[in-house]
Amino acid sequence: MDEISRTMKAAASGMAAQSARLRLSSENIANADTPGYRRKIVSFEATMLSRDDDRVVATGPVRLDQSELLRIYDPSHPLAGEDGYYDGSNVNMMIEIADAREANRSYEANLKMFEQARQMAGSLLDLLRR
Amino acid sequence: MDTRLTILRLASNLAAHATTRTEVVTENIAHADTPGYRARDLADFSETLREGPAFAARMTLPGHIDFGADGRGFEAIEATAFGAETPNGNTVSLEDQMMRSADARQSHDLALGVYRKTMDILRSGLGRN
Repeated sequence: MDEISRTMKAAASGMAAQSARLRLSSENIANADTPGYRRKIVSFEATMLSRDDDRVVATGPVRLDQSELLRIYDPSHPLAGEDGYYDGSNVNMMIEIADAREANRSYEANLKMFEQARQMAGSLLDLLRR
Repeated sequence: MDTRLTILRLASNLAAHATTRTEVVTENIAHADTPGYRARDLADFSETLREGPAFAARMTLPGHIDFGADGRGFEAIEATAFGAETPNGNTVSLEDQMMRSADARQSHDLALGVYRKTMDILRSGLGRN
């Protein structure tokens, strides 16, 4: 039963990490048109790997993508400078959508493993029932 | 009568192997997008059966490094599907892991099935249904 609860813990950590990623992705998409917005990114890290400790996944610190902001020409924009340009955001919709889709897929895989662990525990307990 | 039947022991060992394998596969899936993570898997149950439990280090102090097999002699080793390595060093392929988890699930069902059947036979040997 110990392994099963560790399995569930690992799957749950995976789901938490993937949903954090999905949240950042939707924040980025929501702010795609915010002037000066830098997209947020997060990395995944393995937490300590001793056996008593669990090999779970955790998200690292949230960082801002330091790549160049998009320069947009619009002299009528309130933020536009002398030359008529202002800083847009550096969110690339295509990347965000792909990222969100990948997070979704990994989340589902984790969920499936959680379900499987639950079913295995259930069938083990069924042995006791008779 | 010897109540420690070989078949029951075998079945429970197989169930333990399948559960541990599910744990390892779940860890792999949780790390599906972690850069540099290497996918792992257990050796086949038949191999464990033939060669006996794998080497396990004993920790006598809290500061000792934990390595080798776990208490039951199952050791997780690196196992990568062909072509699964991505540029960031991660070697988890979700499809491959799904196959492995289905495999483990099947072994677990098999083990529990054998266990239950053996118990049924014992029970009918005792004249109860």
